[in-house]
Amino acid sequence: MTSAITARPDAPRVARWFHALADEARVNIVEMLSHKERCVCELERVLGIAQSRLSFHLRVLKEAGLIADRKEGRWMFYGLQREMLDQIAAYTKSVKPGKHAGSCAVACCD
Amino acid sequence: MRRRALLRVGNRFLRNPNGLPRLPHPLPIDMARVAQWFHAASDTTRLGMLEFLSQRERCVSELQKILGVPQSSASFHLKVLMESGLVRQRREGRWKYYSLRGETLEYMIAFTRIVSPGEHAGTCPLSCCQ
Repeated sequence: MTSAITARPDAPRVARWFHALADEARVNIVEMLSHKERCVCELERVLGIAQSRLSFHLRVLKEAGLIADRKEGRWMFYGLQREMLDQIAAYTKSVKPGKHAGSCAVACCD
Repeated sequence: MRRRALLRVGNRFLRNPNGLPRLPHPLPIDMARVAQWFHAASDTTRLGMLEFLSQRERCVSELQKILGVPQSSASFHLKVLMESGLVRQRREGRWKYYSLRGETLEYMIAFTRIVSPGEHAGTCPLSCCQ
């Protein structure tokens, strides 16, 4: 059981992944990036979010590892990181009913 | 601005659902709802609750004992989880039992699949999407 605990991503890290998708604007950004990478100008135009706000949301997504940026000339392009989406899916799958993702101090788990 | 875009499920996802139940096409959800699911799972106490509920249903006193949080805090977090549709409540006598709603977790997994790079989950007014 100990190995199962160490193999699992720690809770604050998982919470950060989910927090990145816990805002409607960020979900919209992720949806737009699902087609291909986009520059800030495209995101700004389509989503109608002010650039300062957009930069904040992009930073949250980047810090959670959901997107990566690439500089081309004077433009910054943002693209989705598939591995992170896969990790989120794997975690969510592991807590599906009947799985018992963690370990706990109650009698049924001893 | 509130964008109520229905998520378009990619053909690849429908053909190869990886053991997921067949989902309605398009997914009848808007982005605010998606954000609400992920918000519910974005707190370490609530993640702990999800993990302990993943084996079987539990009452609030069990959750409180395991997670070491006061009842007011446990009740607040359970309320957030219930409002997002991740957890359901069942009353038995004077006890309330909480359990996970697997279908919401399936939708969350489906969301991560349909926004995988190259899928283009939604629609937008850019020329590439017309």
